[in-house]
Amino acid sequence: MISFSQVTKRYPGGHEALSGIDITIAQGELVFLTGHSGAGKSTFLKLIAAIERPTRGVVAVSGQNVGRLSRRAVPYLRRNIGLVFQDHKLLFDRSAIENVVLPLDIAGVERRESLKRARAVLDKVGLLAREKANPVSLSGGEQQRLCIARALVARPALLLADEPTGNLDAGYAADIMSMFRDFHQVGTTLVIATHDERAIAALGGRILHFDHGRVAEGSA
Amino acid sequence: MIGWLHHQKRALTSALRTLLRQPLSSLLTALAMGVALSLPAGLYLILDNLGRLAGELPAQPEISVYLAADATAAQKATLAERLKKPDIERARFIARDQALAALATEQGLTDIAAGLPENPLPDAWVVRPRDTTRDALNRLHDELARLPGVAETQLDSAWAERLQALLALGRTGVWLLTALFAIALAAISGNAIRAQVLARRDEILVSRLIGATDRYVRRPFLYLGAVQGLLGGCAAAAVLALAGLILRDPVEHLATLYGSAWRLHPPSAPELLALFAFTTVFSWLGAWVSVTRTLRRVEAGA
Repeated sequence: MISFSQVTKRYPGGHEALSGIDITIAQGELVFLTGHSGAGKSTFLKLIAAIERPTRGVVAVSGQNVGRLSRRAVPYLRRNIGLVFQDHKLLFDRSAIENVVLPLDIAGVERRESLKRARAVLDKVGLLAREKANPVSLSGGEQQRLCIARALVARPALLLADEPTGNLDAGYAADIMSMFRDFHQVGTTLVIATHDERAIAALGGRILHFDHGRVAEGSA
Repeated sequence: MIGWLHHQKRALTSALRTLLRQPLSSLLTALAMGVALSLPAGLYLILDNLGRLAGELPAQPEISVYLAADATAAQKATLAERLKKPDIERARFIARDQALAALATEQGLTDIAAGLPENPLPDAWVVRPRDTTRDALNRLHDELARLPGVAETQLDSAWAERLQALLALGRTGVWLLTALFAIALAAISGNAIRAQVLARRDEILVSRLIGATDRYVRRPFLYLGAVQGLLGGCAAAAVLALAGLILRDPVEHLATLYGSAWRLHPPSAPELLALFAFTTVFSWLGAWVSVTRTLRRVEAGA
């Protein structure tokens, strides 16, 4: 599903975040990205979602060379990817359910169907009772679950999560990881950048350890 | 197709919500557009009205030929025969009684005309020549003046020609002003839209991350620009209507003093539609340029 072939990413200023990476991730895999801050985990995720472009090498997602995608084609790639951010990136001028329906609005799904699907996914993450709440009034864990609901509402085949439990206490973090396990069990490919070793141990799966832009394989 | 319609509907709804969320700023933007546009639109209307007035006057050169009071029947017949030649497009005879009656009714001089011991006006011909070049007109004018029984001749068209030339110049000026104000309109709209794009920066960036196309992001702002332009057109029409209302009585009074029944004409329905279309299109264009430039800047700074 995802392949990195001799991928190097150098940012303006000269910092090399990734150096000659060769990785393949199969459909349905659960992959954890570990390593210290600045090791290249986030860059790896950004290259998959075409938020960044590789300096050298080829990043392919479902057979598409995403580094070569035109500006017009990038949104269609992203519609098939669910993105979970550490800082949630929620919109605070609208309700929880309005945040969740946004990807469906973008895809042109009919409003009634959008709301139905948004409620279903809010129910799955335990936030159905808070659908009208403004995200500001939600706790950190709830905001992260809302972000996950938004990432999943369009039923993507691939979910990328960047430190999804980074700011959460142990209880919330366990809830969220257990949610990820459920999605993995229904066939979603998950690539999760995290420092949370307990979560990795609990969920199992493949580990890619990043260190100064290079990758070493491991397993939980 | 259905997805496309959903997008249009949502974008329009979003634009209307934005306008309603900031009623004062929307109103001020529409007023700025309306006041700016009312100048060329008002000038257009003034010229249109002057054009109507000029249309009632002889736009083509005419020669008035006044007969001497003692002109004989033979001299009158010779003149009438001359005016049947092919170099004359049309010739209209106005008998002296008819001229006096017209003077009495059209100029409101009934009492004075009735008090005259005898009709002082001569019989006359109003002649429209076929060749309207200056030389040909002068030649014909001189020839008619030399005919026996003709007391006086007058070339009537010079001032009407000058008025038509001035109107043509005025119309060119209106188009130039319109072009300048179209740029101003696009700038007003673009500036308002730029502020909106910056205010919704987070929403735009998040939408882009989860798959929004350029068109999806741009669409609500384009609708906003178009709706603002339409409101600007309505404001311009309101300013013109108000000006028309204020000017109507003084203009009619002035026209009456000159013995004319001329009245101010309001803009016609097609002219109003053209005004609305103009403001909508140029405001949309301003929004398009602004949103495209600002989006690039917002995304580059993300």
